[in-house]
Amino acid sequence: MRDPQIAPPRLHAAFAAIGVAFLAIFSWVFLREQGAEWRAAQQQFQALQATVKDPHQLAQSASVGGLRQFWLPDLDRIDRCTTCHLGIDDPAFIRAAQPFTTHPGTWLTTHPVERFGCTICHDGQGDATTYRDAAHHPVAFIERPMRPVETIEANCGRCHRSIDAPDAPALSDGRRLIRDSGCMSCHEIPGFEGLTFNGPRLDSFGYKVRPEWLGAWLAKPKDYLPHSKMGNFRLSAQEIDGLRPFLLSQRAQAPVDRTGIDWKKADPAAGRALFGELRCVSCHSVNGRGGDMGPELTRIGDKVGREWLFGFLKNPHREQPDTPMLEYRLSDTQLRDLTTFLLDEYRTSGGGPDQPPSSYQDPQAVAAGRATFIRRGCPSCHQLKDVPDHGRIGPSLAGVADRDPEQLQYGPTPVRHTTDNYVFLKILEPEALGQPSLMPTFDFQPEDAAKITLALASLRTSDLPASFVQRRPPVAPYRTAGAFGAWAGRYRCLSCHTIGGFGGTLSTVPLDRIGSQLQRNYLVDYLLHPGAVRVSVEARMPVFHMLPEEARTIADYASLVFLDDALDAYDARFTLADERRGQQLYAQLGCVGCHQIDTHGGYVGPDLSNSGTRLKPGWVAAWLKSPARYKPGTLQPDYGLSDADVRALTAYISSLGADGTGRPGGAR
Amino acid sequence: MSCRERVGTQRHMCRSALVALLVTASLTGCHQKAAAPPGEPMLAAVRGDQRAAGLTYAEAQGRLLFQQYCATCHGDEGKGDGQNASNLNPAPPDLTAPKAAPDAVYLRRVIAQGSAAVGRSPLSPPWGRSLRAQEIDDLVLYCRALARRKSK
Repeated sequence: MRDPQIAPPRLHAAFAAIGVAFLAIFSWVFLREQGAEWRAAQQQFQALQATVKDPHQLAQSASVGGLRQFWLPDLDRIDRCTTCHLGIDDPAFIRAAQPFTTHPGTWLTTHPVERFGCTICHDGQGDATTYRDAAHHPVAFIERPMRPVETIEANCGRCHRSIDAPDAPALSDGRRLIRDSGCMSCHEIPGFEGLTFNGPRLDSFGYKVRPEWLGAWLAKPKDYLPHSKMGNFRLSAQEIDGLRPFLLSQRAQAPVDRTGIDWKKADPAAGRALFGELRCVSCHSVNGRGGDMGPELTRIGDKVGREWLFGFLKNPHREQPDTPMLEYRLSDTQLRDLTTFLLDEYRTSGGGPDQPPSSYQDPQAVAAGRATFIRRGCPSCHQLKDVPDHGRIGPSLAGVADRDPEQLQYGPTPVRHTTDNYVFLKILEPEALGQPSLMPTFDFQPEDAAKITLALASLRTSDLPASFVQRRPPVAPYRTAGAFGAWAGRYRCLSCHTIGGFGGTLSTVPLDRIGSQLQRNYLVDYLLHPGAVRVSVEARMPVFHMLPEEARTIADYASLVFLDDALDAYDARFTLADERRGQQLYAQLGCVGCHQIDTHGGYVGPDLSNSGTRLKPGWVAAWLKSPARYKPGTLQPDYGLSDADVRALTAYISSLGADGTGRPGGAR
Repeated sequence: MSCRERVGTQRHMCRSALVALLVTASLTGCHQKAAAPPGEPMLAAVRGDQRAAGLTYAEAQGRLLFQQYCATCHGDEGKGDGQNASNLNPAPPDLTAPKAAPDAVYLRRVIAQGSAAVGRSPLSPPWGRSLRAQEIDDLVLYCRALARRKSK
């Protein structure tokens, strides 16, 4: 009889088999671990180390044995990349091949690897220990492989939240495109809170445009304005048939009274001269040249009616209180000539009726148009008094980069399923992915759509710790008041200039300390007769036709309020020796390469011929000492001048042209 | 990305494993070389003009800086034909001429300390206090790329 304590022979065999199997598995795991990729890499690195370093340095180098990792609890990640990338922070390996080469640039100085790790910028699987698992390239089942370097700026945006992100030009461009295309009018986009994008108010639109123009515009805005900010809404003929009467029925306020204007006496040649003199092209382009703050005027005659244009030029703020367009001080005769010139010169069609036919007053069509207007989100950009803002009609883009790529549609062309590709294709052509969309087609160039995609790719759901996030505080609007405020509002100083960071950036001259930079009399003169201080700059200050008392008020205000005490405290009692040495320095430093004096010199920087009557010495000195402090990115080089050299140069520059000759000696 | 997320990803991906395998397997092999891999329209677009100019990422960064700081005299393409070039004596050199491709140390010195620092005219000013080391490195790379492209 068999002892029940003893297991049957079959069980013995099973135990033996299991034992052998375990041994085999353990040996396999052991051998696999011994032969791991990273061990081979570390051996190669040691061999390489011996060739690039002298023995003394080598003795000081840390041992490379074993797995290396950075544990980053703040970022919830472990990065083991340096297990193989052993030369990453050692400049001696700059010419070594991957994985041993030094990290390019100074990125590791500005972003120490102990604090940031690697995958916060590069993505990929930081805790992996093989090339494949780390997802250096797209790998099945791994959602976030490493980003190719061309798109890496998307990850800069996770911490750098201001629109202009340092050293990330494509990301910054993408964010500017988002801001300037008004994406945040329809989508909630983190980082763009508080920014608004306004198309023209439409309250009196019925008086503004020609009916036949409106239909074509709604059908395809880019046909009329190649750089239109309004996208193509792909409207059906039926929708346009409703929108047109609805928009043309908006007649809150008739254009200003123009009785007494004799249009037959209009002089287009005088209008043409005015068009040039007023510097309209600083903001409006015609035939492909000019600024882009205002709409292109190449075909303005096809679009607007004569009465409306006259009224708008006379007082643009009556109909559009928020327009950047200034109110020139022109007589009715001048306005008549300018209007006639614009409408005759810049048109392609023979023109038609200014006013819509009575069939446009059909209440049913108007109601249908109103419904379309609201459904397509028009109120998000165009204000209209009796249509309330219906909020953003597009989905929120918060966390858009973390949307599951397999849940998205990609349209007919086979592409790799990533949120980047989805967002990119969607921006290019919203309906190309097989779903109906309310989003307009903006006709972005592919590289622009890619930059916008980059900017959106930084919007992840997981928030980084606040200590990592860098964001400039939003600028508070600058409100002007009193007599100065009235003129500054009329002439729209803040459309081009900034005060306290608020305003437009067409001009490179902020007004914050303008009273300490420019002499008061020069300022008066410049406001009355703006000339070109900088020959090479295309956008010029408009000739406002300002009254002398207005110019004096503005200049006095600026000289009392827009001051920087540190500049005004400068002791400007120069000696003749200062001035002579300054003249030598001017030649020695090569200033003539960029500045003109008496028509001699380059035209990158301002003409200095009349500096003695134009600039305040304290400003000249402060500017020469540290230009980037006052204007980041300026072309004025920082020569690292000593105080004595700054003083000498300031003395020389302040002596120029006080006698109108552009030669030194006039200031005294 | 943490392990937790990766497991979650795997679970989800099982559902569409076959599709994903086919798509990724067909793409992973041909990644990384000069042209963007097929099926990567976003990458192709973002690389577009860099690749057309034959520049790496860092060189393209340098080109942006070149256009901002240097092009008024040196010209958009570095040929020495900027709008201010005619005002300069001596005129700015053609940076695309292969002989103008000195080593990185020399270039860094000219850019950071100005042409006067290497015994030439003072017309090319020092940028060492305006630009960061990273930016000067990128500019050096772009200047070398300018000469390289011509000599090809």
